[in-house]
Amino acid sequence: MTAAVTPFVRRAAEMTATSWLRTVDHKQIGVLYIGMGLAFLLIGGIESLVMRAQLATPEARLVDPQLYDQLFTMHGITMIFLAAIPLLVGFANYIVPLMIGARDVAFPRLNALSFWLSLFGGLLLYFSIVAGGAPDAGWFAYAPLSDRPYATGTGLDYYVLGLAVNGVGTIAGAINLAVTILLLRCPGLSISRLPLLVWMTLVTSFLILGAYPALTAGLVMLMGDRLLGAHFFTAATGGEPLLWQHVFWFFGHPEVYIVILPAFGMISEIIPVFSGKPIFGYRFVAGSSVAIAFLSFSVWAHHMFAVGLSAGEDVFFSAASMLIAVPTGVKIFNWLATMMGGRLRFVTAMLFAVGFIAVFVVGGLTGVSLAIVPLDWAVTDSYYVVAHMHYVLFGGVVFGVFAGSYYWFPKITGRFLSERLGRWHFWLSFVGFNLTFLPQHWLGIQGMARRMWTYAADTGWGPLNLLSSIGAAILAVSVLVFAWNVVASLRAGALAGDDPWDAWTLEWATSSPPPHDNVESIPKVTSKRPLWDRKHPELKDPS
Amino acid sequence: MGPPRHTTGVRPPAEAIASLAGIVAAIAFVILIGVEAALIYAAWRFRASRAAGAPAQVYGHTRLEILWTAAPLGVLAVVFVLMLGTMSEIGASVPANGPAALRIGVIGHQWWWEYRYPHDGGEVVGANELHIPVATPVDLELRSADVIHSFWVPELGGKIDMIPGRANVLRLYASHAGVYAGQCAEFCGVEHAWMRITVVAQPADAFQRWLAAEAAPRATPTGAAADGERIFATEVCASCHAVRGTAAAGPVGPDLTHVGSRLTLGAGVLRNDDAAMRAWIGDPQTIKPGALMPQVPLSSAELDALTTYLRSLR
Repeated sequence: MTAAVTPFVRRAAEMTATSWLRTVDHKQIGVLYIGMGLAFLLIGGIESLVMRAQLATPEARLVDPQLYDQLFTMHGITMIFLAAIPLLVGFANYIVPLMIGARDVAFPRLNALSFWLSLFGGLLLYFSIVAGGAPDAGWFAYAPLSDRPYATGTGLDYYVLGLAVNGVGTIAGAINLAVTILLLRCPGLSISRLPLLVWMTLVTSFLILGAYPALTAGLVMLMGDRLLGAHFFTAATGGEPLLWQHVFWFFGHPEVYIVILPAFGMISEIIPVFSGKPIFGYRFVAGSSVAIAFLSFSVWAHHMFAVGLSAGEDVFFSAASMLIAVPTGVKIFNWLATMMGGRLRFVTAMLFAVGFIAVFVVGGLTGVSLAIVPLDWAVTDSYYVVAHMHYVLFGGVVFGVFAGSYYWFPKITGRFLSERLGRWHFWLSFVGFNLTFLPQHWLGIQGMARRMWTYAADTGWGPLNLLSSIGAAILAVSVLVFAWNVVASLRAGALAGDDPWDAWTLEWATSSPPPHDNVESIPKVTSKRPLWDRKHPELKDPS
Repeated sequence: MGPPRHTTGVRPPAEAIASLAGIVAAIAFVILIGVEAALIYAAWRFRASRAAGAPAQVYGHTRLEILWTAAPLGVLAVVFVLMLGTMSEIGASVPANGPAALRIGVIGHQWWWEYRYPHDGGEVVGANELHIPVATPVDLELRSADVIHSFWVPELGGKIDMIPGRANVLRLYASHAGVYAGQCAEFCGVEHAWMRITVVAQPADAFQRWLAAEAAPRATPTGAAADGERIFATEVCASCHAVRGTAAAGPVGPDLTHVGSRLTLGAGVLRNDDAAMRAWIGDPQTIKPGALMPQVPLSSAELDALTTYLRSLR
């Protein structure tokens, strides 16, 4: 009557070349994700450097327009899908089970499948180059430009297939993390005691489950149009080009929060530890993420104010988009309040966290300006938008990931990253970043549209573009410093010990790197800061 | 920025947008300075080397949370109301005491612009250079012949996309005569960059004279220009381009009936003069790589004749 059930026996920890291929351990998979993200961050960065070199002077002929279009398309896809998501999922994969006192994620084999699907989706996208040319219709591939007869090569077919495969991996990963957080928490770790990185990961997982199916549906329709002669997006035969935009941005705007919320989570861990204080307004920081998540599904058409929607639609999406600034502001105010009255240790992780706040505020404010319909009519699709999105995605996500890298590298490897190189890395990044993207606001206001492979000398846009390109070169140097720091510290970094930062969450209670099963015995938790309670028995956190 | 008001009492769209932008920028700047100052203060005042002893463990403050939720809501509400005002101002119908809006058709093509002016109950077709009268509201009826484009002249108003299967309307208003530059703002393929917009705003009587001239067929060519017209008709030129008054009626490329009078060639890639015209006909793919105009094999003498002909089409 009952079939014999064979328990899934996990192999003992091993670190051979093939173990990286066969592993189902959340920590190894986390490292694989992070490695994938860093590799594609370098590739996407090189693509952007070629573009900045081309734009440094007017009417340059370093690359031809066909190549330039492939460069900015692949840069966008790479940075969003193949760098940001894997980096954030990688850290979540590694850290979240440790933070909640679990031995692994809920579905270890699904976890491995998720990673390999994400990676193979990325490889499929890059295989397009060998197959006859990369996709060249921009990362949001507006129909009908992405449709037949305007995109005749195979590039857009690889876009559809690569993103679909990558997206299935991301969806499976989100299910895994959500189930892990909901079901595998150690005793006493109630939802209201979850570390904020775990909170943000949980919210992000549900955002992925809400948003990615829309992308998949859009990709299937585009594939139908391109390969099967369907007419979803062709106006002449009864299709509707705007349908693609609605479907894409229904995914695309939550996607922005899918990549920024985990970075918020990292910042919300790092700032309290290096301020020597608990996070200010825990409930409000967690609750504001839930507010952002709900609002993010009703703001997509602010990407479409210039398509000629009705005034009523414009006003609705404008109001919803403005509202998102409120919970985002709540987070920034709470981070500031956490720092106030603290004892701030400015290690590199903290420098990047504070740098994150400093630049993210700019991106948040320009975001509000883009939610104001008439201002959006003026600057949408211009370099102002390019500047805004990089303040949010580079200043936000990438600075957050750098902060997290310096913070958790000792846990993952057992060694510190060099603080001396870290300082160089931070200041070069901070200066280079602002020099690259601040001038682009003015270029956009003056009339420079995005995605132009070149511009006329008589526009007068040369000097600001040159400044921006110089900034990009400084950013490139900063990334080289980081890469060197990682390589050198892996071999000869100072040994870190279990709890190098005097931190509070459970990942610091185990060894660095953690043993295969994470913890000797499952801990029991009575407050938000279990290690604080252990170190300060006289001053325990309120439960 | 010129004086903001004209005789009809309604501000031009670009002025209305600029004034809203000024208010929003001022508010945003105050917030930015406030947050950055607080951040710098916290980083400097509470750095470890200055702090004495262990910091007090503060968990939150509900009234502060309510304050910094409500205050931004209030600011956003003000901005939202200002926005509604600007939107209704831009969308307002033509004022009763002013000139009626002039409606001009614009069709975006990969990668050039087609303009259709109402004239004598019919239409006059031009390309790549929009002429409008000053101090007159102009409604552009925007369509696309292929993919999505977007019409944007920053000094004259916002931008609206041109979408296959739809017609959008964009209100422009030029207070001053002059030449205004713009750019296709929605990525539309290989030569998106060289899809520039030129708007010539001129006094109403000058505009009417221009329109009458534009409506006329081409002037009958003589001498070398007549040779050029024969070459134009027998080579592939005429299969894409139209020159009114001749048999050439190709509907694919820009109408060339008065190309000689235009300020630029190739949708803004070259300033129009004899040398530029010759270079453009001789090798468009080097000047505007990816443009749909092919390189036609022509002898030097044929190039000269074609150049003379096209430059004579004033």
